Formats: sequence, C-alpha cells, structure tokens
Amino acid sequence: MTGNIAILGYGLSAIGPGIGVGLIFAAYINGVARQPEARGMLQPIAFLGMAITEALAIFGIALAFVFKA
Amino acid sequence: MSLVSAAPSEYTAPGVEEFWQPLFGTDGPWAITRPMFLIVISVGLIIWYLLATTRKKALVPSRGQMATEAVYGLVRNGIAKDLIGSKEFMRFVPLLFSLFMIILVNNFFGVMPPFSYPTMSRIGFPIALSLIVWVVFHVVGMKKHGFFGYWKSLVPSGLPKGMILPIFFLELITDLFTRPVTLALRLFGNMFAGHILIVLFITGGWYMLTNGGILVIAGGVTWVFALVMTLFELLVEFLQAYVFTLLAALYIGGAIADEH
Amino acid sequence: MQASFVFAEGGEEGFWATAAPIIPHPLEFFFGLATFALLYFVVKAKVVPRLEQIYAERTAAIEGGMNKAEEAQAQAQAALEQYQAQLVEARAEASRIREDAKAQGAQIIAEMREQAAADASRITETAHKQIEAERQQAVVSLRGDVGRMSTELASRIVGESLEDEARQRGIVERFLAELESGDVVREKVGDA
Repeated sequence: MTGNIAILGYGLSAIGPGIGVGLIFAAYINGVARQPEARGMLQPIAFLGMAITEALAIFGIALAFVFKA
Repeated sequence: MSLVSAAPSEYTAPGVEEFWQPLFGTDGPWAITRPMFLIVISVGLIIWYLLATTRKKALVPSRGQMATEAVYGLVRNGIAKDLIGSKEFMRFVPLLFSLFMIILVNNFFGVMPPFSYPTMSRIGFPIALSLIVWVVFHVVGMKKHGFFGYWKSLVPSGLPKGMILPIFFLELITDLFTRPVTLALRLFGNMFAGHILIVLFITGGWYMLTNGGILVIAGGVTWVFALVMTLFELLVEFLQAYVFTLLAALYIGGAIADEH
Repeated sequence: MQASFVFAEGGEEGFWATAAPIIPHPLEFFFGLATFALLYFVVKAKVVPRLEQIYAERTAAIEGGMNKAEEAQAQAQAALEQYQAQLVEARAEASRIREDAKAQGAQIIAEMREQAAADASRITETAHKQIEAERQQAVVSLRGDVGRMSTELASRIVGESLEDEARQRGIVERFLAELESGDVVREKVGDA
C-alpha cells in the first residue's frame, strides 16, 4: 500500500475542528430555537467561532500539501 | 495527466496537476492560464448582468432585476447591515457585494459545463480577495481608533494585568495571520477538494465502464454519485461565497466596533 | 472534462504542474486583484447607486401608498363617526318626540277627564235643580190642593162658609206648619 502520510495527518487534524464546528452550530441552533429573536446577536458569534475553529483544519490541509513534497 | 486516453489497464487518481492548465505563453510564473481567462469572463458577465438588470430602475421589477435585488438584499441587509451595524454599513456594501458576486459566479463555473473549472481552486485568486479584505479591515479600524488605539482595542478591557500581554499576542496573531490565511484557504480548500472529488468520480467511473466486466455496474453507480456530488457542490459553492462575505463583514464590523 | 485535457496537454510538465497547490501563481494573483478592482469600481459607481435608488423609491412608494391608505381609513372613520353621531341625534329626536306625544296624550286625557267630570257634575246639578223645582212645584200645588180640599171639607162639615180668604189662609198655613213640626195631636173632631 502506497500513499502519502501527510493526508493521514490532515485526516487527524480534521477530527477536532469537525467536532468543534458541530458543537458550535448545535449550540447556535439551540439558541435560535429557544429564542428566535436572538438570531441577529448569535449569528456573528457562531460564525466567528466557526472561523476560528475551522482554522485548524484549514492549516491541516495547507500543511498536508507543504509536507507532501 | 491524460487519464481518459491512457491505457485502461491502470488507473491514476486525479491530482494537483489537474489544476494546472496554461493556455498560452510560457509554462512559468507569467503564463496565461485557464482560470485567468475564466475570471475575466466572469467579471464581464457580472458587470453586464448587473448593469443590464438595473438600467430600468423599475419599481415593479422584471425577473432579472428581481434576482439582482434578491442577491443585493441578501448582502446588504442579511450580511452588511446585521454585522457592521446600521450606521456605517453602506460604505462597505459595494465591497461586500462585489466579493459575493465574484466568488459566487466563479464557484458556479466549477460545475457549469462550458467552464467546469472553479477559479477559486487556484490559491492566487482567494489570496487576492483575502488580501483586499485584510487591508480594508485593518485600515478602517486604524482610521476609526487611531494607529495605537486600534492595537489597543484588540484587547478587551477589564482583563487582569497578567493576561493582557498573552491575549494581545493571541489577538495579534489572529488578526494579522489567522484571519486572512483561513479566509483564503477555506475558499480554496473547499473548491479544490470539491472539484477533485467530482473529477475522481467521473474519471474513476469512466475507467470502470471502459474496463468492462462486473465493474460496469460500479461505474454506473459512480457516475450517479458524480451527479449527486455535483448537486452537493452547488450548495457548497453558494455557502462558501456566503461565508466568505459574512466573515469579511464580520472582520470589518469588529474592526470599527466601539468595543472590540 | 474533455476540454480541460485538451488544454492541459498543450503545456509541458514544469514546476507549476506539480507544485503544491497552496503556492500562489503570481500572475493569477495579479489577475485576481485587477479583475476584482474593475468589478468593485463598476459596482461602486453604477450598480449600488442604482439599486439604492430603487430601494429608496420603492420605500417612498410604499410609504406613500401607506399614507394614502391611512388617509382613506381616517376618512372612512370620520364618515362612520358622523353617521353614528347623526344616528344618535335621530334616536334622541325620536325619543323626544315620543315623550312629547306621551305627555301630550296624558294632557289630553286629563283635559277630557276633567271636562267629562265637569259635564257630569253640571248634568247632575241641572237634574238636581230640576227635581228640586218640580218638588217645589209639587209642594206648592199640593199645599194649594190640600188647603182647598180641607177647607171645602170643613165648610161642608161645619155648614158655614169659610170663604174668608184671610182667615182661610191663616188657618191652613198654621195647620200645615203644625203638621210639619209634628205638634199636631190627633183629636176627635167632636171634642173640639
């Protein structure tokens, strides 16, 4: 079996952010379902949280390409 | 590279070289490539469409004008007004609207038959857009708070003394490095991965179909999956344009907010 | 897909074909900047002002329409109030007229009753007077008759004429008076 171990690394780095983003949007949906009028306030927080959490996975894919060579 | 015409005995998965398509000129850093051509077409299309549908300024809009107004309303009210605040958002609406349109149309090129190439899967374009957003939100923040005031506003007030320096560096890294890099890489990564996935399904399906035997059925199933993936890709393409514009508005709004 | 392979086969495999995809191609980067700048300026100069104008006009039109509707509603409300006021007035007038009629009716009845009572009493009185007059007449004629008959009877018995008017009158009158007062006692004529 041949392949690139960097891709394995990317897969590992995607686990945490995957769970994190899921948790963020679960909380966001919960909040909006409970208080629909709070949507405007929650939305930027949710997306900012998503951007920060997802950063790790995005660094993962970048580094996977960097170390592929 | 030439997967289809290659001998069917061995299958090579599509890779990075799939995205390198120079049209003419050299093979080097100044080659004219296919995505350049596409982005010029997309900008031409967008400008033509926007000007054509808004020329009449009808109060009761035609179908084209209604579509333009729907997208404009989404960016203006759903993104800019909500995230920047109703006082200053009008300054940034042209920027955000342009960003949304150029990303949306170029993303849709990824699954549109005559183009079939997502421009944003070449990292140069997302980096250019992120750089513009990065410069804009730092500049407006510095204009609003002053040069030193802006850096000071990165740290939330009311922190204990020992926390100020670590938080400051953390915020500095986020603002200067993480935000623009993730903004560009998110768009690039989604488009790149989505396109490579579709290419994989189609070329893989073709390989199985041409190699015959029991694999023909699997090839057909794979092509069905390619179609499903294409539809899924449409959703992702819209979502990425939306998220990019939303985050740009969020960063700008954060930079000019009174409380950071 | 086919087209992309045709394009791709033109270029030789160099550094850029296999380079990591996160290395930006410089010309692509500049193309991105330039085309976005072009789009931005067109959008800023033309598209957004037009769309904002449409927005403003539409808002104005909708507000104007709403104002018109509000005006119409106010007018309708005023008309309704006017009608209601008129209705109330009419009702009041009707009840006033009814009251008046009732009062007038009562007055008329009272008057009639009074008149009837007056009539009745007048008739009664007349009847009384008539009866009285007839009685008086009867008394007078009876008295005359009784006097004459008793005188005649007495003169026959006595055999002497009691024609003397003055005496006759005096005796009869005295007798009748005694009779009325009850002083007369029955006595035998022979004893007298």
